[in-house]
Amino acid sequence: MTATTITAAVDCDLHVAPPSFDKVLPYLDSYWKSYIDDSTVGLSQPAYPLGAATTGGAPAGNYDQLAPVLSAANPHRAILNCLALDGVHRNPYYAAAMATAVNDWVREEFLVRDERLRASIVVSPLDIEAAVKEVERLASDGRFAQILLPVRADVPYGNRLYHPLYAVAQEQGFPIALHAWGRGGKAPSMPGVTATYLEDYASNAHIAQVQMMSFVAEGVFSKFPQLKVVFMECGFSWLPPQLWRFDKDWKGVWREVPWVKERPSEYVRRHMRFTTEPAQLPRNPRQIAQLVEMVGPGLLMYASDYPHDHGDGFERLLAALSDEDAESVLRGTAAKFYGDLIA
Amino acid sequence: MITEVDVLSVADTARTKDVTLVDVDIHPRMTPAELVNWLPERWARHVARYGLRAPAGRDRYPRPRNKGVRADSWPENGFPGTDYGLLRKQLLDEHRIDFGILLVLDTLDSGYERPPLDAAISQAVNDWMAAEWLDRDDRLRGSIAVPIENPELAVQEIERVSTDKRFVQILLPASMQESAGSPKYWPVYRAAAERGLPVAFHTGGYNDYGGTGRPSFYLEEHAGYGVIMQILLTSLVCEGTFAAIPNLKVALVEGGALWLAALKWRLDDAWLQLRDEVPELERLPSEYIREHVWLDTQPMEEPDDPRHFLHALELSGLEDRLMFATDYPHWDFDSPASSLPRGLSKEQRGKLLAGNAIELYGLPSKVACR
Repeated sequence: MTATTITAAVDCDLHVAPPSFDKVLPYLDSYWKSYIDDSTVGLSQPAYPLGAATTGGAPAGNYDQLAPVLSAANPHRAILNCLALDGVHRNPYYAAAMATAVNDWVREEFLVRDERLRASIVVSPLDIEAAVKEVERLASDGRFAQILLPVRADVPYGNRLYHPLYAVAQEQGFPIALHAWGRGGKAPSMPGVTATYLEDYASNAHIAQVQMMSFVAEGVFSKFPQLKVVFMECGFSWLPPQLWRFDKDWKGVWREVPWVKERPSEYVRRHMRFTTEPAQLPRNPRQIAQLVEMVGPGLLMYASDYPHDHGDGFERLLAALSDEDAESVLRGTAAKFYGDLIA
Repeated sequence: MITEVDVLSVADTARTKDVTLVDVDIHPRMTPAELVNWLPERWARHVARYGLRAPAGRDRYPRPRNKGVRADSWPENGFPGTDYGLLRKQLLDEHRIDFGILLVLDTLDSGYERPPLDAAISQAVNDWMAAEWLDRDDRLRGSIAVPIENPELAVQEIERVSTDKRFVQILLPASMQESAGSPKYWPVYRAAAERGLPVAFHTGGYNDYGGTGRPSFYLEEHAGYGVIMQILLTSLVCEGTFAAIPNLKVALVEGGALWLAALKWRLDDAWLQLRDEVPELERLPSEYIREHVWLDTQPMEEPDDPRHFLHALELSGLEDRLMFATDYPHWDFDSPASSLPRGLSKEQRGKLLAGNAIELYGLPSKVACR
């Protein structure tokens, strides 16, 4: 398989973002309109410096910018992710209001224009009660496919503080999508910052490993047996050794987490999926094949990650996959994972 | 007290024998009472009254099994790791260990005390290690404790202790107050590199889980030690530590090892895209790692399919870098008799059990295969 053949896929991650507050103001009440007008709050995305090669350009700010991308790939379905809340603000009420406004903007600007499109419900981890309400508000729309949270958090995602959100996610059949970045200033280091963007960029994979363990260790999948989680833009090649170690340690200290009834890797393989960008693979095709065997190709779902550019890792992955595995990665696994949400 | 010791004279017998097993992670325990005994009067009085300020790792994440140690490792009096006789019997003699590297973890929390006490604690640990352990058994080698959060004092301690050639590395916690790559610590790394001493980072210190917040359970902490090592190594590479200190050798201890492959791919792919941000990194990150970094086996990774261990060893490029460790007396002790993965060639076993450690630590011996 080669990259040029990627059409009619399920694309799990395309980025859109309001280019200015003007676009979302119509979806905010007068309090927040005046707050935004009068305050220093911004829409900046520290995660994606515009000059960095990995950023690739600005996310689509309106449907006309996205249309050529969709024409070229003609995806079966494409899931839009808006990371406009990934700032450094701490105000939970602002975050909840903006989440609602962003979701309405995505619906009116994109979803109504193209039936191939789906979107993630943006919610803020700063106010779980508001997040639950937002999911309930949009559940019947039919064009939202999952609940989006930033992988970086103040409290790990297995923690019981989030469980009301997982309850509504399970009830409504929405997967939880943890996307790279978020919560600016929360880097995986002792001081919580990184001196280079390079380090920050590579770190999403480290955070994802901690979050993966948190879901399992806290018993989220024992409590919510239908819940699904997808890690977006956090890589996946780190998975095999981390699962070996997790399984081995559980055999030793299971007493601490009696609700974990099976080996941790069983929960991960049943409940979790990972998108393909950034792929972060070896150069040698034989070694890629070895890695894919260890990861299990059924855990991977295709994402173009438009407009970002992580290099040629995905091309290397696709070239090393059998036709059958490539079909699963491009379409089959997502079709099963999202079910009716993308039918 | 530390005196000049030439390792070749104390290890004459070792020099001529074939070495088949080096254990790079053994934990003698210095109890608080012992620490007070070895501190100068001013600080002994202080610690006896006020204790140490660092919250213990074993209190943050209580070990839920066997109190965190091998069930049979309790001496008649006191704690596992406090009795040389029992350690010799259960570990060195039983497993015919030719060299064992001691890492004393009880004082890894530099930075919690005022600088003079921080330095005094390191001095006490090093003096105690020399007198109570190294003097008793010429198979043992020490790791120099340093007050890392006070780099000037840490360099002084390296100068003092490194005259005793039985100390073969500097011991640092994997989690320090700043990222491991911070130039704050470079004088310490330079002092080590100038003397040919590797810097060993052992899991520990006060990891506050930037990026995710604190997990709830020891299971997560322990299964996450490899993640902490990935964070540490990413910082060392990205901040240009290896580019700035070409002779620096780093050993990552008790974080597992096979995660290294994915980290190399991650950093290489990221650097190819972002290299203009870090012009001081002139080569692929994986090349710096290949040149500067050793890892130990503890706890031995155990995929269901033993072929996967061999694949991952090759993918990680660790054949010349992976060193065996038991982690005695901790609960997840790996026995050299039963923990090695199936399918290793004789040459791979020889390097893993002894050869790679002999090379890193310059041990006076030649490798043989058992």
